[in-house]
Amino acid sequence: MQIRKSLESTDQAAALELDNVSLSYDNGPNVLTNLNLSLPSGSFHFLTGASGAGKTSLLKLLYLAQRPTHGSVRLFGTNVTAAARRALPAIRRKVGVVFQDFRLLDHLSAFDNVALPLRVSNAPESEIKSNVSELLSWVGLDKYMDAKPETLSGGQKQRVAIARAVVNRPRLILADEPTGNVDDAIAMRLMQLFIEMNKLGSSIIIATHNEHLVKKFGFNQLAIENHRLSELPPLGTNGERP
Amino acid sequence: MISLRTDLPLGGDSASRFIPWLMAIMVFLGILSVSGVAVFDTILSGWSRAVTGTLTVQIPALSAINEDSANQARTDRAVFVLRSMPSVRSVQVLEKTEIEALLAPWLGDAAAIGGLPIPVLIDVSLSDDATMIIENLRTAVKTVVPDAIIDDHRRWFEHLIDLTEGFRLLTIGIALIVTTALALTVVYATRASMAEFREVISVLHLIGARDIYVATQFAKRTLSAALKGSAGGLLAGAFTLITISLLASNVESGFLPDIDLGFGFWVSLPLVSLVATALAMVTAYITVISTLRSMV
Repeated sequence: MQIRKSLESTDQAAALELDNVSLSYDNGPNVLTNLNLSLPSGSFHFLTGASGAGKTSLLKLLYLAQRPTHGSVRLFGTNVTAAARRALPAIRRKVGVVFQDFRLLDHLSAFDNVALPLRVSNAPESEIKSNVSELLSWVGLDKYMDAKPETLSGGQKQRVAIARAVVNRPRLILADEPTGNVDDAIAMRLMQLFIEMNKLGSSIIIATHNEHLVKKFGFNQLAIENHRLSELPPLGTNGERP
Repeated sequence: MISLRTDLPLGGDSASRFIPWLMAIMVFLGILSVSGVAVFDTILSGWSRAVTGTLTVQIPALSAINEDSANQARTDRAVFVLRSMPSVRSVQVLEKTEIEALLAPWLGDAAAIGGLPIPVLIDVSLSDDATMIIENLRTAVKTVVPDAIIDDHRRWFEHLIDLTEGFRLLTIGIALIVTTALALTVVYATRASMAEFREVISVLHLIGARDIYVATQFAKRTLSAALKGSAGGLLAGAFTLITISLLASNVESGFLPDIDLGFGFWVSLPLVSLVATALAMVTAYITVISTLRSMV
């Protein structure tokens, strides 16, 4: 009972906390070393770093695809490193993920792909229909609801993936290069969607190489360098930090 | 009404193509096994009903020709002794024509066996067939007709019971082997299918699907494939049984025991198909649950 109580989350808790987190694969060298971080609910961060720096590995820890080799990860006040396996699905439903390779299910339509998070939560079909339709319209895919992913362009797939990540209004949204395959106009529109979700209370972390995006929106930055994480103040529009 | 909608592709993988055939074969074999058990049960209970509380007294014909009056006297003595015993309910001397009818399948028609020394058969019905009573009866009959043969059917019936029980156990064993083979094959097919849909499972997992949700997806998918196959197996099994019944009904009476499996048996045949389908579905469900436990 004590353990259960200590694992329960509270709305006031930080969105995520990392305590001396290290990660290595198959006893290899650390890809992440001694990460310490606490992000409040409703924060918005860009996650930057060179290719292979460990951005995707950090995101994997946060969307619970991987457990840390050392240290602990807390999401919404719950120590997910120590949590029982059966407790994880409920936490995963509070985290929306945009995967770099989209990971859409090819045999399902755009509508059904976006509906998946609601279906696994047993949401009523009427709610699924209205929410998914509205969201696909928002990302400009209202004419492609029945289209299978293989018939969509890279940018369209990315928008479906983003719609799937935000459809159940998660408390934390993790996006891995979400604007990598779209033109600037669509990228701005998608960023606007993330900002709207942020205003509704979701914490956002966007992993990106796009310096233009980082400068333009001026949110705080999490930088991974030499397997370590540091939190940086926003870049100014001139590309320098205050 | 259970929705069969699943997040997994239907019909595209090897397991989806394989399970209907597997189910059809297993249900077909299952129906034959269950029918075998039912047939042996029916034969056993029929024989048991026929011989319990009865015995046959055989008065061998005297070998000398024109001994009809002597044979009749021996028969009358035996009948008199039998009727005087309190545990004997009825005594029925079989007519010569009835005995000839019994022998006809082996020896031909009445004309062919007319010259043979045919024994007299006496059917005796007992109110109590305890061993002691039968022994007393045997002693009493042999006192008046020393070469009389008293057959309480037990010896041959016990051998038949042993043989039939052996067949029955063999059939139950086959049914169990079929069931085990079905379960193991569904486990294998489900694991193969999970490997094929690894990406789908991973995505469902990461967006917060519980193991139960994923397992239900596979169970629904297996149910859909198994229903098709088991329906085919049921039709093939029923067709085979009906054909065998028709062929058996053409065989002359006396060679085969009368087997009436009854309306209940035919109505219960779909149960074999439903049980096999349920077994496949539950096996798939448990396989997925146990396999997913190894994931983060």
